[in-house]
Amino acid sequence: MIKATELSKSFNGVAGQKKRRVVAVESVSFEAADGRITGLLGPNGAGKSTTLRMLATLIKPDSGSATIDGYSVQNDVLAVRHQLGFMPHNAGIYPRLTTRENIRYYARLCGMDKRTTETRVDELVSLLAMEGFADRRTAGFSQGQKTKVALARALVHRPQTILLDEPTNGLDVMATRGLRDIIRALAKEGHCIVFSSHIMQEVAALCDEIAIISDGNISMTGSLNTLLQNTGQSSLEDAFVSAIGGEL
Amino acid sequence: MVLVMLWKEIIDNLRDRQTVFYALLFGPVLLPLCIGGALVAGLKQATVSFDEPSELAVQHAERAPNLVQFLRANNMDVVNAPADVEDSVRRGDVPIVLSIPEDFSTALREGQPAPLVIHVNDGDKQSSKEARKVSSLLRVYAQTLNALRMQHRGIDPSVFNSIDVTLQDVSSNGFRGQLLASLLPFLLIVAMVMGGFYLAIDTTAGERERQSLEPLLTLPLARYKLVLGKFLAVLVFVTLSSVLTAVSVFLVFRFFSPEMAGGELSFDAHTIFQAWLLASPLVFFISAVLMTVAASTRSSKEAQTYLGLLMVFPMAPFFILQFINIKSVGITMALPMLSQYQLLERVVLQDVINPAHIALSVVGTLVGAGLLLWGAIRLYSRESVL
Repeated sequence: MIKATELSKSFNGVAGQKKRRVVAVESVSFEAADGRITGLLGPNGAGKSTTLRMLATLIKPDSGSATIDGYSVQNDVLAVRHQLGFMPHNAGIYPRLTTRENIRYYARLCGMDKRTTETRVDELVSLLAMEGFADRRTAGFSQGQKTKVALARALVHRPQTILLDEPTNGLDVMATRGLRDIIRALAKEGHCIVFSSHIMQEVAALCDEIAIISDGNISMTGSLNTLLQNTGQSSLEDAFVSAIGGEL
Repeated sequence: MVLVMLWKEIIDNLRDRQTVFYALLFGPVLLPLCIGGALVAGLKQATVSFDEPSELAVQHAERAPNLVQFLRANNMDVVNAPADVEDSVRRGDVPIVLSIPEDFSTALREGQPAPLVIHVNDGDKQSSKEARKVSSLLRVYAQTLNALRMQHRGIDPSVFNSIDVTLQDVSSNGFRGQLLASLLPFLLIVAMVMGGFYLAIDTTAGERERQSLEPLLTLPLARYKLVLGKFLAVLVFVTLSSVLTAVSVFLVFRFFSPEMAGGELSFDAHTIFQAWLLASPLVFFISAVLMTVAASTRSSKEAQTYLGLLMVFPMAPFFILQFINIKSVGITMALPMLSQYQLLERVVLQDVINPAHIALSVVGTLVGAGLLLWGAIRLYSRESVL
């Protein structure tokens, strides 16, 4: 369960240029419930990753607040991290370690003992159908394989809330469909899933709730049907353009 | 958790050929062999040994049987010279040739200066070294003959020795000794830096570049533990590298020059162990420097540039101490690296070491390491670490 209220974040401009604050997120409020898949839909540079990074306790919001399962992302950082599985938009796995070693490393860092770790690694290998490459070093893996390893790693400590930053980037059709099934199954188990993407079809096909984000603000939230109704459009793409104030 | 991280970094980096090459081969083996070996071999070549038997080619040995007998008595194996004397010396077939002219014995009998010719190739170190050795032997022979001639004429030979100069070197080391003595701290420190170099970059800037830092930081793990885990991994490599270097320095001296392991300069097992112990606080300091500098950069390339520049620092004391005579006052003894250079030199030269200096060196170095480590933890607690 995520509750974000008027989150804002700005960064210093690029070095070398005149000092100028760049507002990445101006005011983002949304809720994501357990057992549902919430899509954060927005164009590149809209503030999706910054929002997820604030929720993942990687950066602190300048103002506003957010809680994950009741824990504040500003004040209960370690508790939030226990609840949270975060997969950044680049897999970020260790190329010289095997699939199992990558997952095992995170399990052990989360404080799991050896035996629990091995059971959990086996579970994840079979859940994500990684038997074929479980004992290979991940250097040279396809994007789909890397994503699976990164997802397994994010899930290793059985987090209640799962944040996925553009997980389908670079995946082919079959890999995308496979990932969708996994995400749906996780939601069915009762996990709260937030999924960011700039691809309409992805969000339309997968998400129960959609939050449209542009220029650091949430411009509309609701289910796909609600969004279509509110904007009077027939496709998510048109609804999206209308929601962010563009011209059709 | 710190141990989990340590173990992962070690396994991960042992699989990286570059890290292994620099940590376990370049610093500890190649460097002592190239620098130490070359230096020791060079010094040895320049040193004349009168105890070692060596071969001497003599042309017309039959013209001076007494001289030949004297040479044989002084560890020279006299052999017949090749026919083309000058060419064979030039080609290096024989280092030098001593040739005895026809009128040698006549001149000797008549009390005239007896001519002798040494054919030498001065461009060849071996040849000039042999020539020096033979001429000094001949000087001794000549002195004996002079004394005999004077006594024959009823003169005391010591009349001609109006001054007797004795050069007494009290430093016990001299320039050569100093150079050799500073070799050990130099090799140890460079090996330490090389040992942790790539690992420090890989676990900090490299991790950021691979984008594996972001998910790592979302784990329920305090930042100081994360920094400590990485630091320990660097520490293990730095320590391993320094131990291997100590072993290979020992072997290099054993192999190239066993006589140097005994004399005024000492490179025996006890001395090298003592030196390593005195240098050991540096493993903490150097690991902390490598880590903190690498952590403050944005990419591996940037980290390599900065750490590359930083490599000058461990070499600086080596050159500074060669040319400037720094009095071992308190303040220099509290400085990491500079103090170890001075302490280790003294160990090798077998000088007396002030215990207060050791204490200052250890404390100064560890405090430096602590401060740097604290800086690294601060760095990892900031958002901009991403």
